[in-house]
Amino acid sequence: MIRRIALSLIFAVTLPAFAARVGKPAPAFTGRDSHGHMHSLSEYRGKYVVLEWSNKDCPYTRAQYNSGNMQALQKEWTAKGVVWLTILSSAPGLQGYMTAAEENAWIKNIHASPTAAILDPTGTIGLTYGAKTTPHMFIINPQGTLIYDGAIDDRPTTDPSVVHSSHNYVSAALSEAMAGKSVAKDYTRPYGCSVKYASERSSLH
Amino acid sequence: MKGKAMRAFRNLLFILIAALAPFYGHAQTTATEPHLTVQLVVPPAQIYPGQHFTAGLFFKLAPGWHVYWINAGDSGEPPDIQWKLPTGIAAGPMQFPAPQRLPLGPLMDFGYENQVLFPIPISVASGFKPSGSTTTLGGKVTWIVCSNVCIPGKATLSVDRPALSSPPATPGTIAADQRLIDQFRSTLPQPLPPSDRARFQATSAGFALTVKTGQREHSAQFFPLDQNILANAAPQPVQPFGNGVKLTLTKDQNLATTPRQLSGVLVLSNGRAYQIHATPGALALAAAGSSSTGLLRILLLAFVGGIILNLMPCVFPVLFLKGLALVQSSSEERRTIRLHGLVYTLGIVVSFWIVVGILLALRAAGHNFGWGFQFQSPLFLVLLTLLLFFLGLSLAGQFEIGLSITRAGSGLAAKQGYTGSFFTGVLAVVVATPCTAPFMGAAIGYALTASAVTSIAVFTAVALGLAAPYLLLAFNPAWTRLLPRPGAWMEILKQAVSIPIFGTVIWLVWVFNQTAAAGSLVFLLTAFLLLAIAGWILGRWPAKLPATLAAVLVVTAAVAVPVWAIHTLAPTNASRAQDAVWQPFSPELVAKYRAEGKPVFLDFTASWCLSCQVNERIVLDRPDVQNALKSSGVQLVRADWTRHSKTIADTLASLGRDGIPTYALYPANPNDPPRLLPEVLTPGIVIRALHQLKSGASSAVNSGF
Repeated sequence: MIRRIALSLIFAVTLPAFAARVGKPAPAFTGRDSHGHMHSLSEYRGKYVVLEWSNKDCPYTRAQYNSGNMQALQKEWTAKGVVWLTILSSAPGLQGYMTAAEENAWIKNIHASPTAAILDPTGTIGLTYGAKTTPHMFIINPQGTLIYDGAIDDRPTTDPSVVHSSHNYVSAALSEAMAGKSVAKDYTRPYGCSVKYASERSSLH
Repeated sequence: MKGKAMRAFRNLLFILIAALAPFYGHAQTTATEPHLTVQLVVPPAQIYPGQHFTAGLFFKLAPGWHVYWINAGDSGEPPDIQWKLPTGIAAGPMQFPAPQRLPLGPLMDFGYENQVLFPIPISVASGFKPSGSTTTLGGKVTWIVCSNVCIPGKATLSVDRPALSSPPATPGTIAADQRLIDQFRSTLPQPLPPSDRARFQATSAGFALTVKTGQREHSAQFFPLDQNILANAAPQPVQPFGNGVKLTLTKDQNLATTPRQLSGVLVLSNGRAYQIHATPGALALAAAGSSSTGLLRILLLAFVGGIILNLMPCVFPVLFLKGLALVQSSSEERRTIRLHGLVYTLGIVVSFWIVVGILLALRAAGHNFGWGFQFQSPLFLVLLTLLLFFLGLSLAGQFEIGLSITRAGSGLAAKQGYTGSFFTGVLAVVVATPCTAPFMGAAIGYALTASAVTSIAVFTAVALGLAAPYLLLAFNPAWTRLLPRPGAWMEILKQAVSIPIFGTVIWLVWVFNQTAAAGSLVFLLTAFLLLAIAGWILGRWPAKLPATLAAVLVVTAAVAVPVWAIHTLAPTNASRAQDAVWQPFSPELVAKYRAEGKPVFLDFTASWCLSCQVNERIVLDRPDVQNALKSSGVQLVRADWTRHSKTIADTLASLGRDGIPTYALYPANPNDPPRLLPEVLTPGIVIRALHQLKSGASSAVNSGF
């Protein structure tokens, strides 16, 4: 309890300084994935990194996976050398919280292929980035700069059948950045379900 | 292979559902879905050419579930309807009532709980030709309903109405539908009246939004229409003005350019809501008194409050002192008496300016201290108690002040001449501070939330009110002549004055005992003994330097002993015993009860607040009041401010108050704002308020269904 309060206080004080901002260096983080491996943002310097906030029971996330869209994106971009990190910030007991074994089984079952699925049940990475929704997407360029923060596409929907007709912001941003262009839409309102942080966590502002 | 087959099967299922949907949804006006029911509301009994009316989408939500405003905030999406209408009938955009803030851990959504009706304007073309005897208005409604989790939903709703080829002589209405539309009409944000204006200014952290509404606003929430403009979860500190309000908004950290316009909805007290289209700039609100009626009234109240302070128990002894000084001055020249009055006034005014200066500095530093906060400091209590006790000893005749020792404190106050008058004024202020007389709370609350200039004006008015009675006597020689001639009775009077002084000491000791650490009391009482010894030394060997030095040493010890005790003994965290019926305050507790739809009576009190004690003993603890409280189902919560608490100070500030007693009654409906009761309670006031609460709640339910 005291540790929680202390953490909340630390976040309340430090969040504005650390929070992710497009065009600024992306905040550093370290997290353990569903296979027990540790991942640090710093080890991916030189590569594009996509962060995907996920909650498998959120209807918006489900629309992305049930339509096959998210798996296709993961496959397409990891094949082009992009590091794709799916991040689960649901607190224990809340929707979308997964143990490592559950997450591995789900990834296998849904045919997802992220580079890794990072378990963040304390919400530390989520609050550092200000992740609000599932899905909420971030893109970091090889220089470690945040180049996209926002929604996955332009059609907030829980209907898998309309996902494919949407304009995908992540693909657009990655294509533009890799072509040496600046990202036209680098900040959009992320849509979806709220990230299920532990309720005693400090505010995001 | 298996995946492919699955996908094919799923696609088939979708096609099937899509094909079936129009059939089984037909002519269904209400759909009961998980956690909500949704109804298409169409008031007209007939549809005919040239008709304009308001239809509506009415959601009734299960407790704890919400649907979203047009800007859903950090997550969620607003409901939507895709109309399927006959040729010639057109639906306008869905309108959104004023939302509420829905915090979800660190996130903030904007939406609706309980019930909401989204009005939709419908127009029938003048060339409308009905294709049959009835026409069907309907469409596919989609929504996302959330509590901690979200569930998407959809329903195909429609209503059938007789269709006419020309307007009827007496158009009919479906009463139930019309009642729903009328009932929720007031929930729509209104355009800001043309006389009022909204402006915004970019600051380093966000925006300062000023809105002129023509009246004093103590609560306001701004909901931005555009997404990604504001940090949704950030608090919106409100600064009330005489004719409007100023909100401090925090911008979205990714916002790079200042928008040309800040659009949204401003929700004020009593459910009033305005559409805001703020343009860059600032408004000169009635802070320094541009629309000065509000300010003038406050200044008058503050002045009257100051006068009443003269009668408060904690000032009364000083009033005696002042009277004494006046009697001593009776033989002096008229001009001198007036000067004394003016110097005394100056002493009061300067003290108030010092206090307001400190308060403003603290406020600037972000400390939300309330009026009377010095009485929460054991150190301050010790010094004041010792000062009064020593003064009491002197008045009782143990020794003469002014013969030897200190030039400070009581010595200065009791001193003859202008210095004495000045410090008598200062002393009056020091002792008067905690007596937030009935008018004072509002005035101080106003002052501390208003600009520095207003604060100083209000405090000056209080100071002048406090000084007024004495000043009046000083300027009215005729009244002075009514006072008895100087003589031997003066010594008796002086000694008698020590009695209320000692009474005040007892009260302060009691307060100290509530505030300071357990076991500190004996050290304070020891200090009294030391003071008595010092007084004896001074009285036994008057005007002798060694004796004076010895007395100074003993007085120093008298101060040091309790001060040491305060610092050494760890303060206990156990607050004073809470009554079984009263639960200790926390914002979470109040929020919890409000979320559960339970009304809450919140009592702000402190052991140093005499008026609070009186209200509790004489009114709140009365059996009939207790019965009324119990039978009304109100949750009783007590915020004990005996020790300073920022949480309580913040809660008071959010109610527009800075001092106690404060009594807030939160209605069962969490959307309704809390109601403040007067500072002086009577059983009638409490019971009437409870009754109104009950009747208000039941009438809302009745009109609902």
